[in-house]
Amino acid sequence: MLAVSMTGDSVKAKNGAMVAYDGQMAFKKLSGGGEGVRGMVTRRLTGEQMVVMEVKGHGTCYFADRASEISLVSLRGEKLYVESSNLLCTDAGLRTGTTFTGLRGASQGNGLFTTTVEGTGQAAIMSHGPAVVLRVSAQYPLQVDPGAYIAHTGNLQQHFQSGVTFRTFIGEGSGEAFQIRFEGEGLVYVQPSERNTIGGDV
Amino acid sequence: MTTGPVVFDPMSLPVDDNVNKYTFCVELKSSQWLLQKGKMIAYYGRIDFNGFGRGRLDSILRTSFHSPMHAADWVVAEGSGKMLLADRAFDVNSYDLEDGNLTIRSGNLLAFQPSLALKQSIVPGFLTLIGTGKFVAASNGPVVFLEPPIRVDPQALVGWSDCPSPCHHYDHGYMTGVLGGIRSLTGLGGTSGEEHQFEFVGAGTVLLQSTEVLMAEQPTGAVPQQAGVPGGGPGTGQPGAVPRLPGQLGDLQRRFGL
Repeated sequence: MLAVSMTGDSVKAKNGAMVAYDGQMAFKKLSGGGEGVRGMVTRRLTGEQMVVMEVKGHGTCYFADRASEISLVSLRGEKLYVESSNLLCTDAGLRTGTTFTGLRGASQGNGLFTTTVEGTGQAAIMSHGPAVVLRVSAQYPLQVDPGAYIAHTGNLQQHFQSGVTFRTFIGEGSGEAFQIRFEGEGLVYVQPSERNTIGGDV
Repeated sequence: MTTGPVVFDPMSLPVDDNVNKYTFCVELKSSQWLLQKGKMIAYYGRIDFNGFGRGRLDSILRTSFHSPMHAADWVVAEGSGKMLLADRAFDVNSYDLEDGNLTIRSGNLLAFQPSLALKQSIVPGFLTLIGTGKFVAASNGPVVFLEPPIRVDPQALVGWSDCPSPCHHYDHGYMTGVLGGIRSLTGLGGTSGEEHQFEFVGAGTVLLQSTEVLMAEQPTGAVPQQAGVPGGGPGTGQPGAVPRLPGQLGDLQRRFGL
């Protein structure tokens, strides 16, 4: 559960994620993820839909969603890439947008696009089980199972890596046929659980 | 503002130990581990994952793997690096075996070193590990270790080691008499859902997960004092008041362990 103290400022949160609050709060649904008409159209087109509300007021507001674990990410001008389904709450000062992820998104079963959060402030991301934060640096690239990936920050290149061989097709696949390879400098958040993915059974 | 989360890199990740309660880190130094499919969540370094097939993996198959029914669920990881294992956000823990044996529910085992040999247990759905080495297992909630003699609820059982004798145990005492006869023939009347246990006797250790209510030793044949339990507490005398649903624990199939 995430507790946010507010003094007249506002946060953007996943619609319906509020579980309790004290003080004075106003909840307003933001169409199209609060990104204006352009964002609305983009999200509708890309399928990376995110129903967001704006919470404004004085007091403490508590957010939770399906008993997920919550990790706070502090951003200082960086960009956070996160699946819209894993994004719980952001400071109102952070800009959210949509970006193309390519094959990685498809392998996660989450579509070809992902959500970006940028600016200065904090964002709360959700994971099934507490997230593990892994550093990627030039000499240590990281491979992540698409089903366990939730978010990343920093300047990272992603490659979709496939271990599909002829064995996969004769039913002797390794079950780890698809991985995302991260190279560059940054942090990757993974959850101790796997979503059902197309590649998961291969 | 809170301090940032702990950030792990290949240097700070633990060696063959838990990262947190739900994630386990394995270090490979051009060595091999066997793991169940889909339990790897991330890795650093060069690690290859191969299903069992002909050729190179034949030797490891011969020494470490003897359960053909489960072969399709297992892969060999080999290479150098550190990999993270996790399973549906369940608790994971590692255990060391020294020239010992341990039988575990097949779904709970995540990974093991090839110095252990994996065999299928006589008990269906369970696997036995024999030898010396480390393995990683998942449980829904922390694992409790208990010494036989003990009766445990089937759902709470994770495994057992050092070979105590496992057997089924049924509390069938309440099925005598006229009403009991009708009940046992038709399954009408309902049951507690706890009349079937696994009984362990002999030396060894029994591993339980804390999800199901643990079954302490019960007098044989006694029925728990619960509402709706025939002969047990209030609510008796109306056999057949609740129609039996398909798959309900009270049906004959379950009662006879089929």
